[in-house]
Amino acid sequence: MTDLLEIEHATKRFATPEGHHITALDDVSLSVGENEFLTLLGPSGCGKTTLLRAISGFEDLDSGMIRIDGNDVSEWPAHQRPVNTVFQKYALFPHLSVARNVAYSLEIARTPKQEIQTRVGEMLELVGLDGFGGRKITQLSGGQQQRVALARSLIARPKILLLDEPLSALDKNLRHKMQQELKSLQDEIGISFVFVTHDQEEALTMSDRIAVLAHGKIQQLGSPEDLYRRPSSIFVAEFLGGNNMFDGHVATCDAHDARLDLTLGQSVAVPKRNLTEGQAIKLLIRPEDVIINAPNVSGGLTFTGTVSETYFVGTDYQLVVNIPNADPMRVTTRIGFAQAPTIGADITLTVPTDAIHVIADKAA
Amino acid sequence: MWKPNSLAQRRKLMLFGLLTPPTIFLAIFFIVPLGIMIVYSFLEPGLYGGVVWTFSDLNYGRILGWADSKYEKFDPVYLGIMLTSVRLAGLTVLSTLFICYPAAFWISRMNEEKKNIFLFLITLPFFVSLVVRLFAWVLILRPTGFLNQALTGMGLVNAPLEIIYTDLAVIIGMTYVFIPFMFLPLYASVEKLDMSLIEASADLGATKLQTFRRVILPATLPGIVGGSIIVFIPALGNFIVPSILGGAKVLMIGNLIEQQFLSARNWPFGAALGMMVMGSVLFLLIYYVKLLSREDQTAEAN
Repeated sequence: MTDLLEIEHATKRFATPEGHHITALDDVSLSVGENEFLTLLGPSGCGKTTLLRAISGFEDLDSGMIRIDGNDVSEWPAHQRPVNTVFQKYALFPHLSVARNVAYSLEIARTPKQEIQTRVGEMLELVGLDGFGGRKITQLSGGQQQRVALARSLIARPKILLLDEPLSALDKNLRHKMQQELKSLQDEIGISFVFVTHDQEEALTMSDRIAVLAHGKIQQLGSPEDLYRRPSSIFVAEFLGGNNMFDGHVATCDAHDARLDLTLGQSVAVPKRNLTEGQAIKLLIRPEDVIINAPNVSGGLTFTGTVSETYFVGTDYQLVVNIPNADPMRVTTRIGFAQAPTIGADITLTVPTDAIHVIADKAA
Repeated sequence: MWKPNSLAQRRKLMLFGLLTPPTIFLAIFFIVPLGIMIVYSFLEPGLYGGVVWTFSDLNYGRILGWADSKYEKFDPVYLGIMLTSVRLAGLTVLSTLFICYPAAFWISRMNEEKKNIFLFLITLPFFVSLVVRLFAWVLILRPTGFLNQALTGMGLVNAPLEIIYTDLAVIIGMTYVFIPFMFLPLYASVEKLDMSLIEASADLGATKLQTFRRVILPATLPGIVGGSIIVFIPALGNFIVPSILGGAKVLMIGNLIEQQFLSARNWPFGAALGMMVMGSVLFLLIYYVKLLSREDQTAEAN
């Protein structure tokens, strides 16, 4: 195996003070390759932080195995594992200067003074904190502290860098900037990142692959495009951005296509994949895939309705369109100022066939 | 009359009004008696107590080495007592630290409710008179006391241990008395310690011992030093504990001062001894402040 990090059947239960048991990790298996950016995405309490802490060695698994670079590290204490963590609140040592914070792991490893100095200098330069070595931690802004934490974790040249929601304490603009910096830094130094976040946008922006977690289980693991375009469950679809969903069932199937009947009355043909006749399904349509007032319609789905709300969000308009007998449909569209839809206007919504995604409705 | 019209002026006036009474109170009841003691320490004792208004540095001479050659030879006994006091107070600091440091960690990790109960228990001894509590220790430590009966009863010792009226009894007593003083500042700094720092240290490769030395100890050092000072100062001048638990055998500087003022009626000498205690404490404090500011400077210089 060439995978850097392999997790097999990781299971972890916690006892709550009330005597209940919470399953934080339920038979989780995944692997991270060399130079890969993997994101663990999920709502709070989904087990993503527990998984990260299990990798870094702060949480013991009830069962399962963690291998780093081919070695079973399940029994290794945290300080021996070849991974480093960027903590959510940075956990910088307040009694040490910036340089001493960054140098910490090298000092522990008794690296020669000369080398420490050189490497700390390089590291501070890499994260853009040249000349900040003598500062106190308390004299730094949130973004600068973030960079110190990053430098401190990277200086020991870990095989894998673990990041526990490191950007959640930053304001929005800084967060976007740091997202891009983190990604390019990862490309530059070429190590694997395991990144924990509950922010789906952040996950989509930065990751090579995303593992969506809920209730201690991996719901779906795949590339950002995969997850966004082809979610395997309603949960994943809803967690990754806005959605329009329509109930229906598979009416007929032939060799290549399946004809779906919507409860609203429309029907549409889609590639068959693994659909079977009579199966209950949900249709997923992303708001930005809807075309409004298309001149010539062929294939796909068409809805008519009235605009009930409009929001201008800078680049786009977001519309809420009331459709008879269905939930209001959300539409994101980039139209010129002059064509801005007005509330109350009748509108035709068209969805091309390739923008329709079918999810097997397990609930039904 | 001056009328305050801006908000800042009104605030100034209010502060002035609030701060004046305590300032006057402190000036009268702290600075003035201290001044009296300083002046007395340079006077000659009266025959039946009180002072004779003649300048004399012999009170300090008796302690430090230039005794009045007419009456006596220099005897280092007072320096010896001073050193004994420093030693006993120092050991008290160490033993309270030894007990309170782990206890502070233990209590700071409890849930709110338990924490409050334990913090209350720590301060509980304050509700009973000090003398009563110390006599309870006499009952525990004396040869026929609880401790010795328990030890002989269990067959751990053959003859009762001679604990009471020794240095050990004084240290036990002072440790008992000063535990709350050590605990509270220690607890304050331990409570503030961020657990994620300990994890970060382990994450960066440090063993538990290295983490303790490099992170936990420096982060809680202000509490350790603060608690040590708060215990050391009253322990150094303490006279109740040594007089009850040390009997006639253990003489601390506090007892000596008490004797000079009450039995020997040598106020100037007592005052001089008091000044010596104060001087050494001041010296320690100045050293501590210097140490702290130097640490700040090195942190910035690095």
